[in-house]
Amino acid sequence: MKQEYPALAVKRPKLRRYLYNNWQLYVMLLVPFAYFLLFKYVPMFGNILAFRRFRPLTGPFGVRWEGLRYFRQFMGQGDFWRAFFNTLSLAALNLIINFPVPIIFAVMLNELRSLRFKKLVQTVSYMPRFVSTVVVVSILTELLSPSSGALNRLIQSVTGNPPVFYMNEASYFRPLYILTDMWQFMGWSAIIYLAAITGISADLFEAARIDGAGRFQLIWYVTIPSIMPTIMIMFILRVGHLLSVGFEKILLMYTPSNSVVSDVIDTYVYRMSIAATAPQYSYATAIGLFSGIIGLVLVSSANLLARRLTGESIY
Amino acid sequence: MSKSTRIREKSPVMDAVIWLVMIFVLLCCVVPFLYIIAMSFSSSRAILNNRVTLWPIGFNTEAYRQVFAYPNFFRAYRNTLLYTSLGTLIALAMMVVFAYPLSKSRLKGQPIVMKMVVFSMFFGGGLVPNYLLMTSLKLTGTVFAMLLPFAINQFNLIILINFIKTIPEDLEEAARIDGLNYFGILIRIILPLLTAALATVGLYTAVFFWNDWFYSLIYLRSDQYPVMLLLRNIVNGTTMVGEAGGVGENASVAIAIKSAVIITSTLPIILLYPFLQKYFVKGMLVGAVKG
Repeated sequence: MKQEYPALAVKRPKLRRYLYNNWQLYVMLLVPFAYFLLFKYVPMFGNILAFRRFRPLTGPFGVRWEGLRYFRQFMGQGDFWRAFFNTLSLAALNLIINFPVPIIFAVMLNELRSLRFKKLVQTVSYMPRFVSTVVVVSILTELLSPSSGALNRLIQSVTGNPPVFYMNEASYFRPLYILTDMWQFMGWSAIIYLAAITGISADLFEAARIDGAGRFQLIWYVTIPSIMPTIMIMFILRVGHLLSVGFEKILLMYTPSNSVVSDVIDTYVYRMSIAATAPQYSYATAIGLFSGIIGLVLVSSANLLARRLTGESIY
Repeated sequence: MSKSTRIREKSPVMDAVIWLVMIFVLLCCVVPFLYIIAMSFSSSRAILNNRVTLWPIGFNTEAYRQVFAYPNFFRAYRNTLLYTSLGTLIALAMMVVFAYPLSKSRLKGQPIVMKMVVFSMFFGGGLVPNYLLMTSLKLTGTVFAMLLPFAINQFNLIILINFIKTIPEDLEEAARIDGLNYFGILIRIILPLLTAALATVGLYTAVFFWNDWFYSLIYLRSDQYPVMLLLRNIVNGTTMVGEAGGVGENASVAIAIKSAVIITSTLPIILLYPFLQKYFVKGMLVGAVKG
């Protein structure tokens, strides 16, 4: 590189050298990035349909601007608000119950002295995570069947009460949803906390013990505070996905008689669009966009709050 | 870690409580499967008389025989195998080629692409835009509707990126001095060191494809349905298998058949799971590290 070149001109060979060195990386990026844009970002921009009228066979982006018409439409729908509040209550209940459970489970697992038993419990409790929701709901349906299900038989033989069709009763929907979630994900979600607990320095425990801490106090004053950053991050992630309740499971558990509580935003969107005989795509997209934006607001505010409170955040 | 366990005080009550809870957890995880296995091997009379609990009564394999004799079952199973194997292969190829350049933080433009990846984890097209994209691309009703759109999963991609970042830079440097270009490095240096990560991500992807029923339902024709969707249709009564259906004896045949389908469609995962567990756990931990 010659010294007499002015600063601007020096830049060009630099850029050229950079590209010469790295063009292969960019070529590599080309196909998967285009693919990523097509399947993630095109649908994201497809949300524009919420403001536009849909006409069949004219593509996913609609044909004419309609402004906020579809938003006004669902805002005035009782069915939408029912789905909205069902989503909120199911998600909130699920968060309150199923967020702490894996933490407690992890702490308890860590207290086990027998490492072999611990290993066994871990192996077995992670497994339900890999079982299909179809299988989970199928097993549930069989166990709870009013004619042949084990639970009804047990209750009948003990108390003599007539069988209950649990899967069809609105009042049992939420408990069943939350319990099956616990069954599926408690062990799996505990992994991250277990890893965090394992990472705690033994010196901390020793120091606390010298200060006279008992086992409970060790958990309360050492273990829990030490894994607090992990708990915080997991909480943000959970809150961010608050509105996306287990759509597939709900769809499988959905019956007309429990729809009072089981109809959530996602199932409502599905019923109004793909599953409908006269699909209202723009209307359904508007609802989808609405809940997506709420999700985005939730995750950013949870993230901001976590950074303020603990200095931990995910981005 | 074992050190920290050892220094703790003894408190037998607490130990006993924890053991009881853990045994309860074990039972909760195992008993439902035992019940279904027992049902699938029991005689229809025993099921009808409500005598089956955790052990087959009147052991027979009639339910399995009927399931295997049902032509759609094999077709569905073959479909599932196709989507799982090919879908996983495509996904791994796509994600490795995406992850390698993205693992280089010095690469210009890398931070923007990473931000786009993370953003798309929190916001995206909902159900309808995705569905309409698939119909506009004329992919619905073809197997590509299953094989293509799920190839890049952001969580799995970040796992791969984090794995690649742990490979020492010197290794690549040396290879470059020896005259290998980036494609050569990816294939000859990175890929062999990535087997554990590929196993992890591959397993997650395979489990996704194996377990899917919803996307198959909205994107595929009925002769392309995978086994999970078949199971769902049997359970909700859309599909009848063998002599199942109706009341009395036939209803209990239906229960045995449902159970047999549940077991046959879940068996591969249950059998393979103990051997693959360490990979699953590893991925969970690497993926959780900030990307």
